[in-house]
Amino acid sequence: MSFLKLEKIVKRFGDATVIDHVDITAERGEFVVFVGPSGCGKSTLLRMVAGLEEVSEGDIYLDGANVTDTEPASRQVSMVFQSYALFPHMSVHDNISFGLRMAKTPREEIDRRVAEAARILQIENLLQRKPRQLSGGQRQRVAIGRAIVRNPKLFLFDEPLSNLDAELRSQMRVEIARLHRDLGVTMVYVTHDQVEAMTLADRIVVLRAGKVEQIGSPADLYERPDNIFVAGFIGSPKMNFLKASVAAVNGGAVTVRHPALADDLTLPTRHAPTVQPGEDVVLGLRPEHLSVGDGGAARLALRGEFAESLGATSQLYAQTGNGETLILQVPGRRSLAAGEDIRAGFDPAQAYLFDGAGRAI
Amino acid sequence: MVSRPAARFAHLAGLVLVFAFAMFPFYWMVSSSFKDQADLLASPPMWLFEPTIKHYAEIWADQKVTAAIVNSLIVAVSTTALAVLLGTPAAYALARFEFRGKSDLWFWFISNRMISPIVLALPVYLLAQSLGLLDTHLVLILIYLTFNLPIVVWICTDQFRSIPPELEQAARLEGAKQFDVFWRIYLPLGLPGVAVSAIFSFIFSWNELLYALVLTRRNVQTAPVAATSFMSGYELPWGKIMATGTVIVLPVTIFALIVSRHMIRGLTMGATK
Ligand SMILES: Nc1ncnc2c1ncn2[C@@H]1O[C@H](COP(=O)(O)OP(=O)(O)OP(=O)(O)O)[C@@H](O)[C@H]1O
Ligand SMILES: [Mg+2]
Repeated sequence: MSFLKLEKIVKRFGDATVIDHVDITAERGEFVVFVGPSGCGKSTLLRMVAGLEEVSEGDIYLDGANVTDTEPASRQVSMVFQSYALFPHMSVHDNISFGLRMAKTPREEIDRRVAEAARILQIENLLQRKPRQLSGGQRQRVAIGRAIVRNPKLFLFDEPLSNLDAELRSQMRVEIARLHRDLGVTMVYVTHDQVEAMTLADRIVVLRAGKVEQIGSPADLYERPDNIFVAGFIGSPKMNFLKASVAAVNGGAVTVRHPALADDLTLPTRHAPTVQPGEDVVLGLRPEHLSVGDGGAARLALRGEFAESLGATSQLYAQTGNGETLILQVPGRRSLAAGEDIRAGFDPAQAYLFDGAGRAI
Repeated sequence: MVSRPAARFAHLAGLVLVFAFAMFPFYWMVSSSFKDQADLLASPPMWLFEPTIKHYAEIWADQKVTAAIVNSLIVAVSTTALAVLLGTPAAYALARFEFRGKSDLWFWFISNRMISPIVLALPVYLLAQSLGLLDTHLVLILIYLTFNLPIVVWICTDQFRSIPPELEQAARLEGAKQFDVFWRIYLPLGLPGVAVSAIFSFIFSWNELLYALVLTRRNVQTAPVAATSFMSGYELPWGKIMATGTVIVLPVTIFALIVSRHMIRGLTMGATK
């Protein structure tokens, strides 16, 4: 049995079903990330694992035991809140040692473990300060320190980096990854930032409106998204979507037609194709898989709009003849005149196809 | 536009004016308590005089006043302590738990303060009489508690509601029991509210006159009752009244000064964000 298992979890607030029959598992030592747009129920799900929110239906198993109705204090999980939730009237030392003191740990043991946590997080010289005397990043470290000091079975993070500026955020992201590697514990991490999800996760759970859209490794989700929502959510810049129509269906391959495509494009399908000729489908192309010029086996005729240079790469905004906007991510600095005709190429193996309902085919 | 020094001067002058207005009666009482009867009644009033402590000696010698102050202290301290002891857990429950009849209970607390005290004076007197509680500290403590408890509950409920709920959740996850959460999170962070309500409670109990007059006789006279007892006869003993007034005001002032240290804002700063 998995280390953490959520089984048919339902959560209702009054009449509103916020989590709708969700099944998720995490193995021991795994780093699982919940992603999804704001309001999809990520925090609610995490808080149910912590025991801070009652479960309306379903069961939660942790380390072999059903903890659905277990008090938060007895679950041996630690949580880092989005707002940090440090105790403002206590010093950093007392914040970190709070759980140990609640467990009546001997003093020397407390001091030893606080010192160890402080060393890992490099906050040794802050132990006597109060939270209000700390910067955002330092508060975040203290909140993490409070979580790791008790050696919990499970770590829960609720958007821990969302209050930090971009630089600190990437720095803390690396530190959390290091922490996970060094401690080897199971972590469940909530974010709506797909970059955090891609870089930290062993496994990503994509949620939308209280339902699981897809669960898989970052590479799985990137390469084989189950549907248009996951395809659009994972990857940055976002995947380009073009409205195409089916020209022919041939065993395990579908041929699609789009006015901007130089030739009809034949793509292999993942499952037996469910579409009929003449049906509308969506062609998905990642910006980083598009190149300018004659590279790639498939061609698109586009009209340039403008370019954004990011230094190492440039993002080119272009339109098809019928007004669909595409982004191309190309290496180096490249300028683009408005109205300039460009030809984009791509490898058909890197194109995605979705049926009218948004399912990958 | 007003220049900065001018604005500062106006601000200062305003402060001095308000200060003088607020403090003058107080000054008059204290200074009068050091004048002898002739100076006291002099017209125009005397600003410079030969100070005397004979009124203080007099009230010290008069067992009645010292006994009254001791009685007042017993009643006010016990009431305040009990009100805080009982009121803060109630406030915590009202602030953070959902339970049946919560809003009714809440209204009941408020409605206790809506009744004019005089309406209840007679029933309370009869009740105390039949319980044999007349002229005891206990009866005053109990009756003051009914007035002070709602104040403590109100102020502290409001204060506790302003504490981020994540703090409690974090403490729970760290293994804190219900009582630990109250004792280690809510009480220290709600201290400003607790302090304010304690001051209110103390001042109310210290100054209360109506019930003290109705419910006590010789044994448990409180300070305000003792002070009013001078107001009989042909000539008012102004010096003694002023000295008694000063002695009565002193403990409240000291208590308020001690407690007001905790009335600082922004205690929860740094908890979140
Ligand atoms: N206590 C509550 N009562 C009623 N509805 C709630 C409550 N808590 C959350 N919800 C609703 O549940 C849904 C999911 O909320 P949740 O906080 O889990 O979203 P989230 O995915 O964490 O979003 P965000 O990224 O903005 O933090 C939202 O629609 C929210 O309005
Ligand atoms: Mg959230």
